Amino acid sequence: MVTLEKNIKSVKDVLTSEDILVFEFKSDNGKRFAAIFADGIVDKTQIGELVVKPLRYAEKDADFEAVKLLLASPELKEGNKKKDAIKEILNGNAVVFIDGEKDFLIAGVKSPPMRAVAEPPTQVAVHGPREGFIEDIKINLGLIRKRIKTEQLQVKTIFVGDKSDTAISIVYIDGVCPEGLPEKIEKEIMENKIDIVPDSSYISQFMTRKPRSLFKRCGTAEKPDVFCAKVCEGRVGIVVDGSPICLTVPYMLVEDFQSVEDYYINSYRSTTLRVLRVLAILLGIFLPALYISAQLFKIQIIPFQLLLKISSSVAGLPLSPSIEMFLTLFVLEVLNEASIRMPKYVGLALSVVGALVLGDTAVKAGIISTPAIIIIAFSAICLYTVPNNIESTTTLRWMYLIIAGSAGPFGMVLLSAYLICYLVSEQSYGVPLVAPFAPLVRSDLYDSFIKANMYTLDTRPKAFKVKEKVRLTKNENENDK
Amino acid sequence: MKTKTISKISVRQICFIMLAYTVVGKLLSYPTMLSYFCERDLLVPALIDFLIEGIIVWSIAFLCSRTDKTFFGLLEGTFGNVFARIIYGLFAVLFLFAVLLPICEQELYVHTIFYDTVPSLVVFMPFFVFAIYAGSKRFENIGRCADLCLPIFVITMFVIFIMSFGEAQWDNLLPILKTPADKIFFMAAGSIFRYVEPCWLLMFMGRFKYKKGDAAKITISYAAGAIIVLLFLATFYGIYGGLASSRTFAVSRTSLYFSAIETIGRVDLIMLYVLETVMVFALVLNVQLAVYCIAKCSGWDNRAVISLIVNVALAVVLITCGGFYNEIYKLYMNWLWIFFVIFTVLVPCLAWALKRRQR
Repeated sequence: MVTLEKNIKSVKDVLTSEDILVFEFKSDNGKRFAAIFADGIVDKTQIGELVVKPLRYAEKDADFEAVKLLLASPELKEGNKKKDAIKEILNGNAVVFIDGEKDFLIAGVKSPPMRAVAEPPTQVAVHGPREGFIEDIKINLGLIRKRIKTEQLQVKTIFVGDKSDTAISIVYIDGVCPEGLPEKIEKEIMENKIDIVPDSSYISQFMTRKPRSLFKRCGTAEKPDVFCAKVCEGRVGIVVDGSPICLTVPYMLVEDFQSVEDYYINSYRSTTLRVLRVLAILLGIFLPALYISAQLFKIQIIPFQLLLKISSSVAGLPLSPSIEMFLTLFVLEVLNEASIRMPKYVGLALSVVGALVLGDTAVKAGIISTPAIIIIAFSAICLYTVPNNIESTTTLRWMYLIIAGSAGPFGMVLLSAYLICYLVSEQSYGVPLVAPFAPLVRSDLYDSFIKANMYTLDTRPKAFKVKEKVRLTKNENENDK
Repeated sequence: MKTKTISKISVRQICFIMLAYTVVGKLLSYPTMLSYFCERDLLVPALIDFLIEGIIVWSIAFLCSRTDKTFFGLLEGTFGNVFARIIYGLFAVLFLFAVLLPICEQELYVHTIFYDTVPSLVVFMPFFVFAIYAGSKRFENIGRCADLCLPIFVITMFVIFIMSFGEAQWDNLLPILKTPADKIFFMAAGSIFRYVEPCWLLMFMGRFKYKKGDAAKITISYAAGAIIVLLFLATFYGIYGGLASSRTFAVSRTSLYFSAIETIGRVDLIMLYVLETVMVFALVLNVQLAVYCIAKCSGWDNRAVISLIVNVALAVVLITCGGFYNEIYKLYMNWLWIFFVIFTVLVPCLAWALKRRQR
């Protein structure tokens, strides 16, 4: 006969850590039980209410099935392997051993520390929902389920990480999502053996055949409304436990130019904003390089009056235009990095030191010219109009700066040609990265750098080759409205 | 067993190539040379070339409706594999010749227009690095690049035309047909090396799914390209008149007198930089096709290595012979035009005689 002590010992032999607690208790009739759980990630009140209290009424000779019937937990599972018991305890559930029984019960009383659902700082919207994903996968899946109430919504959960055993849910709409895509994604994730998955960005790196590429292959969503909209378009969503950023694939470069709010406001306004973003990104990347190029190789680009201003401000500078620009950009990057990492209390001091001491004094001392500071500052602001692509755009800005300083405008042309040639051959799960521009998908252009009205966007993106193409059926009696 | 998939290109992408790449290859020295030989009749030899090549383009596009085989497949089916390989070898030579002079032109253009100072030849050398990379790419990539190049081309050409039209005096083009016919025909024949578009289409044959009306689409795109070139030639001569023959790199000259330039700076230069991207792709297309032909001819499919060899050879020729631009031009105009006529006019016509399986 299996004794309670033997069961407890077998678990404690493996889970030797002090925060694995064993709570032994008896029913009124003397039946013995033990609940084993990890301290800090379970709700002890729930253990009391859902496990201990009901089991007080267990008969002395009650068997496994009789005990199971007494428990009121909505998440109740059975188990008989030590391995499963350990896994469930580490996952935050309570394992309940019954004296005299080999099998055990698993009560879902998981309650890891988590923050409340709040608006994500990087995808703020004036119009539209404010909810954002948090670090708990269950809450995140709940936020998705709340929005997509169809039986076609499928959630497949896998576990990755030898040490972390992180839950990863693959979310898709059956019948809409391209056939075989969820399985392909699952296979690609599972092919990688890693010890820990602290964030979804780890998974996004598994999902590209070119991990050294400058351009990402996964879209991101921090808000459930964005995530659900993308899933409804035919993408597959990936929710990673412990990460507030969910992934979506296939990914197209144009996605990052689409803001959350574009879909909640007038299409004319959203088109204007998108065009503005494209121009801002182009300016942000090219302006510093073009300025250096003009100064070093082709001064005619600059209008005469502006040229006079510039020449008066660069006169007597000890640095060459390219070194000056490098230095200014370097200072900006350092300030940017410091402002993110430093404690908030020092923020004001940093602003003063950065803006006044470094900026103003450097200009007054004649080390850096005012146009260089203006251009770099404007470039930085421009790039932040598309924050999701900031890693790529800032790197590109450096690349163009180096090329412009060394090879001039023709170098910039060649780098652009190389980027075009490279980008057009790249794909994310069979969808070209620069679709709908190359290859040109005319109907998808209406939601690219322009944003048409809802009636025009009545089909799902053709680039995804989705099964269910129509997403909006027009009211036949529109004139009756 | 691993099956080899054929790299495809779409009709739309071919149309874009016929429209944009046709134009950008004829905007640098071509207008100047036409003005030099034919003065105000510079449109006539260009029109002759466009008409001849337009008919050839239409005939090849129409031939595509009769067969789904590639040109290599047609040659192989009629004369055997060895003959097809020899012809493709000759086509590789044709594409290399077709790109050589434009590369020399491009190098001079870049050095003159992109830089105030006289840069060293090294500045142009990264072009070959790009060409090595692009040369190893397949038809799918060529088509997609064209997809992105078309809007760039349209925007830049539109701005350049807007800045140029107002400055043109159209009566500079009158009276017409005063140039002797022999000069016009000499120029038309001598410029044929710039008209390899029918050969591009031969290479694209069998790599796109022909649908009814596609031949018309391709021909209309080519005609649209031709109209843009003719319009540009007229504008160029309209602005400079008798001085046009001394104004090299025409595309950089036409917008020079736009009144707003004094206030806003040489924005036309920005447009030229952007247009240069399309020019680079148009140049590289010949390299890509040369690499493709060599791969077919040799049966060796390692395109990266072939592209490396081809581009190193082109770079060596540019370094050693780049200074003899005028002599190379004379060679093209006096002798090599025969080679180009054979491959851009006769061979495409003879393609109709090849055995083809009915659709």
